[in-house]
Amino acid sequence: MKVRSPEDLEKLRREILARKKPDRPVIAVCVSTGCSALGARRVVEALREELKKHGLEDKVEIKETGCMGFCELGPRLIIYPQEIPYFKVKPEDASEIVEKTILKGEPVEKLFYTDPATGEKIRKLEEIPFYKYQVRLLLENNAKIDPKNIEDYIALGGYKALAKALTQMTPEQVLEEVKKANLRGRGGGGFPAGVKWETTKNAPGEPKYVIVNCDEGDPGAFMDRTLMEGNPHSVLEGLIIGAYAIGAKEGFIYVREEYPTAVENIATAIRQAEEYGFLGENIMGSGFSFRVKIHRGAGAFVSGESSALMSAIEGKVGEPRPKYIHTAVRGIWNKPSCLNNVETWANVPLIILKGADWFKSIGTAGSSGTKIFSLVGKVNNTGLVEVPMGITLRDLIYKIGGGIRGGKRFKAVQTGGPSGGFIPEKYLDLPVDFDELTKVGSMMGSGGMIVMDEDTCIVDVTRYYIDFLSSESCGKCVPCREGLKQALNILNRICNGQGKAEDLETLEDLCEVLRAASLCALGTTAANPIATSLKYFRDEYEAHIFEQRCPAKVCKALTAYYINPEKCQACMICLRNCPVKAISGEKDIVHVIDQEKCIRCGVCFQVCPFNSVEKYSPPTPPPARYGIKVKRVKKGEKGGA
Amino acid sequence: MEKRRRKEFFVGVRLTEEQRKLLNRIQENAGLSKTEILLRGLELLSEYYSLGLDKPTLSMELKRLEEEALRHAEALKRIRRREEALKEIVRELRDIDRIVDKYGGDPSALIQILLDIQAKYHWISKPALIWVSERLGIPLSRIYQIATFYKAFSLTPQGRHRVRVCLGTACHVRGGPQIMEAAERLLGIRDGEVTPDGRFTLERVNCLGCCALGPVVVVDNDYYGGVKPGDLEKILSKYE
Repeated sequence: MKVRSPEDLEKLRREILARKKPDRPVIAVCVSTGCSALGARRVVEALREELKKHGLEDKVEIKETGCMGFCELGPRLIIYPQEIPYFKVKPEDASEIVEKTILKGEPVEKLFYTDPATGEKIRKLEEIPFYKYQVRLLLENNAKIDPKNIEDYIALGGYKALAKALTQMTPEQVLEEVKKANLRGRGGGGFPAGVKWETTKNAPGEPKYVIVNCDEGDPGAFMDRTLMEGNPHSVLEGLIIGAYAIGAKEGFIYVREEYPTAVENIATAIRQAEEYGFLGENIMGSGFSFRVKIHRGAGAFVSGESSALMSAIEGKVGEPRPKYIHTAVRGIWNKPSCLNNVETWANVPLIILKGADWFKSIGTAGSSGTKIFSLVGKVNNTGLVEVPMGITLRDLIYKIGGGIRGGKRFKAVQTGGPSGGFIPEKYLDLPVDFDELTKVGSMMGSGGMIVMDEDTCIVDVTRYYIDFLSSESCGKCVPCREGLKQALNILNRICNGQGKAEDLETLEDLCEVLRAASLCALGTTAANPIATSLKYFRDEYEAHIFEQRCPAKVCKALTAYYINPEKCQACMICLRNCPVKAISGEKDIVHVIDQEKCIRCGVCFQVCPFNSVEKYSPPTPPPARYGIKVKRVKKGEKGGA
Repeated sequence: MEKRRRKEFFVGVRLTEEQRKLLNRIQENAGLSKTEILLRGLELLSEYYSLGLDKPTLSMELKRLEEEALRHAEALKRIRRREEALKEIVRELRDIDRIVDKYGGDPSALIQILLDIQAKYHWISKPALIWVSERLGIPLSRIYQIATFYKAFSLTPQGRHRVRVCLGTACHVRGGPQIMEAAERLLGIRDGEVTPDGRFTLERVNCLGCCALGPVVVVDNDYYGGVKPGDLEKILSKYE
């Protein structure tokens, strides 16, 4: 049916709700990339099979949803209406879930979340520490929505904000509201969205365009994808409202081709929105018309930059162009074009529906609302988290993230992906918002948050970022193309133990040039990882250069492996796994690594069940002698297998 | 006696047993007299010589003809193969036509068109590039620029299975580089290459968005999380 007025929408919503019996059991299974990788599809199949066996296939609904957040413990599912959250569900658990929870209403204890600190089972999602400290405005509905079904979104009040904007507000009022809410660009820059909208609105030239940027190329970040996959209508609704405020008739959604599910779900969402009359001619009888096209990105990090992205939409090579005139004024085909990130657009319906004052009540004075982060790396609870701006890094990493894995020491947290910087321990109490992160030399970025522990080598990770950026540099401007290449050469040398005393100064010089003279943000921000690592972790660089030592024992050239004769149990496992046959040994004889043959791949270190393989940096392990008899360890004393 | 002697001789020549049998057979089948047989024999001989069939080149000539026939057969096979290949290209170009038509021949849809071709064939061939250039009216050089700029496009055929090792930051700090090295060692190829038997293509990627499971390896569409270097051999053995 076509929705022709706000009354139509309300009527439709009531109809949908009436059709859905509130007490009808729903099993919501997360089938996003993370959970699918862990076997969520097989769980869905097993559940269907089990429901069929009990003749329940019409009485119980299985909903395939987007990401629910705690990816580490997938596959995840939630059973409604009781809202029972289960973790690490296997296909074998299906019969128990149906027989106990669905038929008798009893929980399956073993599938509850276990608090690692107390060993207690937690039955409620909001009591799990990972969720307790979050404010899930944008992500909340992911667990309740089948992203391929517009009715799920409408049932939860979807498109109400659009109805309100189109019929009760003028475009100017919508713009004012967004400006007042101080919604800042979630893609990384933090530029106020309202100001950008106004620029495009007032810029001369027709037609005007609005664009969704879902070219999430930052390694270690996947929040945009999660929104696009799990709740595509929220992004679409925000975009339509923005188009109305700006006066755009046409919009583009730029999604990277590496996200096929996101492409599929947003395409379905657009089709359904057209069917229901939220897109097309004369939307909800307001006289406003708007159309959306999808453009798939073909894999180039630099194409996420606004002017490059617009070139790509025009069908050209996605290279940035000088922005003497901002893209908001001259963008696609030199027409005014307003580009915002997925998360920014998804916030718009909330602001329109609940008001700017409500939005500003969340977060800090300078940064309102929430921000989604992908909390990953060496932290216990990994996954997507949505927190109010201003939360401290410590709360994020220790309360929500559950601290560092394996009881190791925290070293640094890296925010903002390759464009951001390392933040050391002394700034853990820093409130996370756009301005505070910039002050310490990093940036919000699109929201990647990678936690590093004592086993992470900062020089190596810096080299990793520069390697990434150097290969992603489009090569159009000299500072970025040549500067990054030289920086990479120097970093490679340092990691190989051939660093020179003057290298650090040269790196600092390069940073300055990159910042001052690069054409686009890829180059100017590329200095961040180098500058922050030099500022906060200079001692690690110096250890590499002057002592030939990699403190984290990561850099290959500076690390050697050695089998501790006290611990080795002569089990032959390392010997069999060594790819270059550098380990010799036999039954009852302590194994020995031939340092000449060893390629330092670290396989022995990982496979040894007795933790007897040790790393040495500088790479001068004690001399090893062949023929030592094994010292047997008694059972139960196994070195932490 | 008299009769037997006559049988043994033919125009004064003594016949062997073999020759005699032959003569008898001709006589019985054709109903010819010995003189007639003699005359017919002479006629055939003279024709034989007049054709030059007695010369030694004959066998060579036959051999040459035979060789030529073989060559022609080979060429025919080649032509058939070429015909197949051409048909293949025509099929491909028709597919491309359909894709281009889907976008209404719009030159700004170039990247979308190339993505669709890549998705269908897993690589983009030279004829495909030329045809896209022809259809959209975009110079081949610009199409080549785009096809080489974006990582999604491949201008060489790919292996049967695509092995992607994630080296995003989260996987990097959890040991992704060691997985990549192990994969390179195991397959004997480097990033972006195809194994000689065409079984695997190896690629490093910069984040697949399932950082919670790192380090991640994806073979075709199967995700493997928490991979250790030693696990690779077992994982890859599942794919033929």
